[in-house]
Amino acid sequence: MKAAKHKNELLPGTLEMLVLKTLSIQPMHGYGIAQHLQVISADVLTIEEGSLYPALQRMLVKRWVSAEWKISANNRRARFYTLTSAGRKQLGVEESRFSQMFGAIMRVMKTT
Amino acid sequence: MASLLRRLLFLFRRDRFDRDLQDELRFHEEMKAQSLAGGMSGADARAAARRRLGNPLRLREQSREPWTFPAVETFAQDVRHALRLLRRDPAFAFTALATLALGIGLNTAIFSVAYGVLWRPLPYAHPDRLVMLASTQRTERGVRTFWTWAPVTYDAMRARVTALDDLAAYSSNDAPLTGRGEPLQLHALDVSPNFFATLGVTPARGRAFLAGGATPDDDRSAIVSDRLWRTSLNADPAIVGQSVTIDGLPRTVVGVLPPDFSFRPVVPRLGALAEPDIFLLNRWPGDTGRSAFLFLLGRMKAGVTQERASAEVTALVNEPSIAPTSALAPEGTLAPNVRTLARAIGLQEYGTESVRALLLILLGAVSFVLLIACVNVANLQVARLTARRGELSVRMALGAGSRRIVRQLLTEAVVLSLLGASLGVLLAWLTIGAALPLVPAGVLPRPGGIVVDGRVMAFCLGLSLLASVLVGLVPALRISGSAVGEGRALHAGDARTTGDRQGERLRALLVAAQIAMTLVLLIGAGLLMHSFVRLTSVSPGFESSGRDGVLQIVKVQLPPHLYAEPDRIHAFARGVLERIQSLPGVTSASLINSVPFGLMFIQTDFDVEGQPKPTLFAGTPKIDAGYFATMGIPLLAGRDFTAGDTGTAPNVAIVSERVARECFPGGAGEALGRRVRLSDPGDWLTVVGVVADIRQRGLDQQVQPMIYVPFQQDRGGFIRFVSFVARTSTPASVAEGIRAEIRRAAPDLPIESTRTMEEAVSTSVAQPRFRMLLLALFAIAATLIATCGIYGLMAYAVAQRRREIGVRMALGAQRRDVLRLVLARALRVVAAGVLLGLGGAFGMTRVLQRFLFGVTPTDPIAFTLVTLALIAIGLTAAWMPARRATRIDPVAALRAE
Repeated sequence: MKAAKHKNELLPGTLEMLVLKTLSIQPMHGYGIAQHLQVISADVLTIEEGSLYPALQRMLVKRWVSAEWKISANNRRARFYTLTSAGRKQLGVEESRFSQMFGAIMRVMKTT
Repeated sequence: MASLLRRLLFLFRRDRFDRDLQDELRFHEEMKAQSLAGGMSGADARAAARRRLGNPLRLREQSREPWTFPAVETFAQDVRHALRLLRRDPAFAFTALATLALGIGLNTAIFSVAYGVLWRPLPYAHPDRLVMLASTQRTERGVRTFWTWAPVTYDAMRARVTALDDLAAYSSNDAPLTGRGEPLQLHALDVSPNFFATLGVTPARGRAFLAGGATPDDDRSAIVSDRLWRTSLNADPAIVGQSVTIDGLPRTVVGVLPPDFSFRPVVPRLGALAEPDIFLLNRWPGDTGRSAFLFLLGRMKAGVTQERASAEVTALVNEPSIAPTSALAPEGTLAPNVRTLARAIGLQEYGTESVRALLLILLGAVSFVLLIACVNVANLQVARLTARRGELSVRMALGAGSRRIVRQLLTEAVVLSLLGASLGVLLAWLTIGAALPLVPAGVLPRPGGIVVDGRVMAFCLGLSLLASVLVGLVPALRISGSAVGEGRALHAGDARTTGDRQGERLRALLVAAQIAMTLVLLIGAGLLMHSFVRLTSVSPGFESSGRDGVLQIVKVQLPPHLYAEPDRIHAFARGVLERIQSLPGVTSASLINSVPFGLMFIQTDFDVEGQPKPTLFAGTPKIDAGYFATMGIPLLAGRDFTAGDTGTAPNVAIVSERVARECFPGGAGEALGRRVRLSDPGDWLTVVGVVADIRQRGLDQQVQPMIYVPFQQDRGGFIRFVSFVARTSTPASVAEGIRAEIRRAAPDLPIESTRTMEEAVSTSVAQPRFRMLLLALFAIAATLIATCGIYGLMAYAVAQRRREIGVRMALGAQRRDVLRLVLARALRVVAAGVLLGLGGAFGMTRVLQRFLFGVTPTDPIAFTLVTLALIAIGLTAAWMPARRATRIDPVAALRAE
């Protein structure tokens, strides 16, 4: 079965940046991250929720985030992810790269 | 490095990881379900949440991926799966493995032979710099190549040549060893003092021959092989310095060669001679004759090419001061005033043209067998794939990408072919062990190099990987096609989709290709067979077996030191012959110095009195009275030699039909009373008889003009070779009797060989027979595999079309119609294959040209018979499934849906 097509697919590589940004606010569990992204983007960015977890594992391997099991607000056991200092640095890198790219795309789009 | 450690450590916490991830995902799912719960029931909400999350298995694999070796893991998984599948389907496993093992095993075996003979570096220092020198002359009779040189040329050349570091000479001369138990005929090589230095070999004990310098060896020294040292010399550790009697003369052993030393003198067009037992320091000093009998072995200087060496030697041999033309070529065959071209040929290539062609053809043939085998296994896979559609669809539905499935299929193919390859290596090893002793002597110049070693294994491994690509790619391509797309095959009743028809067409195509390749092999084998039949139906001109029994031959060689005088030789021969003639069981007996189908054959030019010199060369056998009667060669005119034709009687000769026809036109009787003169010794001989022609040198050779001379009247050197010939119906006991008579007359004389004429003739066709059997073996293997291919295709097609056939029968089709339906399909496939194969065969059988006798490479008989046979085999293979189709019960077939 092929991956279902979404209307507003993320640009490749942006998922990790968005997760890093979200975690820079406060440690969160996976569901929390998904909800946050959906709410803040006013439902425009519907990430494929499943892909969030492999991405989190990749970031764990790179030590951008750390994880620990804690009790959630509704008293359930959940895995919370925290941004590490390496992750914060990476966020800066990704942000500047993105704005560079975004600026470039906008310039192209504005030229008539 | 850190990542490797991390990945290894992960192996220990995998379960924990999986549990955590599962908890995490469940948490996510429940939270999502809660948030969605507003508009739907609890169960619906959960289902929706699960859908949003995606395939949990795939998620787990993707989440693990950064922590593991994904490639290794999936590979291991696929290997396990493949092995499980093989175990579950033993019939398939057996067929596929047996086919692959056969294909890979045959290839490995032939490759190890070809590599050992043609490409394995020779066991000498810098073997690529060793060359043999040959010369060619272009005359009006065509290009003639001479492989041997006269001693005077050798000496002059060695002094002048600059492109070579060293130039050695050798000549093969068997010699008897006496005084150490039973007299023994040794394979001896006369060599120049620098022979071992040129090869770059040092003896294991003692030393090599000394050349030049202060104290050069005298010509009484010898170096023995490890084998001779271990057998006849009892591995005596103090052998160096001792004396052995060779040819009746004492020889001092100065060295023993290492056990792995090997040098087989190769005589072009004759093959490889036996490994020498003993090397004798040159026995030709002072020989200034014109006779060319030395093989020249040179070591090129570093950086010198064969072209440069050839150019220099060519310049040298055309200088009269170095090589008087009369010394260039073997007696009687030289053409004066013709420019001679010399060639330096790599020792490795030297004398292997014919075996090289044979081995390359065999390699081609076995690679066809392997291709056919691969096609069969690929076909089985395609068929199985259709049966496995359910499984594959489920896997895809569970989230396996099509790349993942293709990888799995390729892995299955790799597992299959690696298993096949291991069996194949085993097969090759067993085959080589069992088959090498059966290879006729002289076919393979370097049998010592033939071993299954690392290089051969590497070849086999490469071959099996190639095979797995061939086997795995076809079904894998089908996956990326439409047959198993998008879970469609989960639907029932999948036997009639178009995808399936495509599969069947592909399979039919592969089977047609198989038949084409099989046909090419079969036609090759058929050509060799027809050629062999032609060859063996040639009459040699004598009766090797007849009403009065067979011909038994016992050959001896009288050493010069014991038999210096021709009279002594005559007395010995006559004495032994008389006793043989009275042995029980002997019908008649005689003797000859150069027996037909033996190695020795002396020919010379001759004069006819009162005529211009004939352009013919004649063989000059020395025979005793009764030779023609014993051999069964008809006397056409005049008389046979008698006991009265002695040295004191007038010199006489008997000529063969061909000499009579060319020199004395007007009938056989015309020759009687005329006189001929052989260039050596030069006496006029009166022709007293004419006999029928024989083939002296082999069934595939022209009849030789012959001038027979009475043994008792010849005083030349060639009468020391004596073959006693007896006609008898009890060859074994007569052979023993003859040997006993020889031992009685000369206790120190080794008996060179004892065989029947039939054996001699059979040995002379051993090589063509061997070639024919090998190719036939491969062709039969290919036919068997292809037959399985056709059978499988048709059986499968019938099973697939049960319903269609059922409908046809329900609508009134007769059994005959059904039979015709199935057989017509089979015939279409076979016909396509046959057409393709015939085209290929027409193009390819030319490579067999040099091995064919009496048939052309497009021999209509072989082509027709083989093609018809293959069509018959193909239809027979299709017959069984066709019969099964006629027994389909229409009611049952329709109800089964």
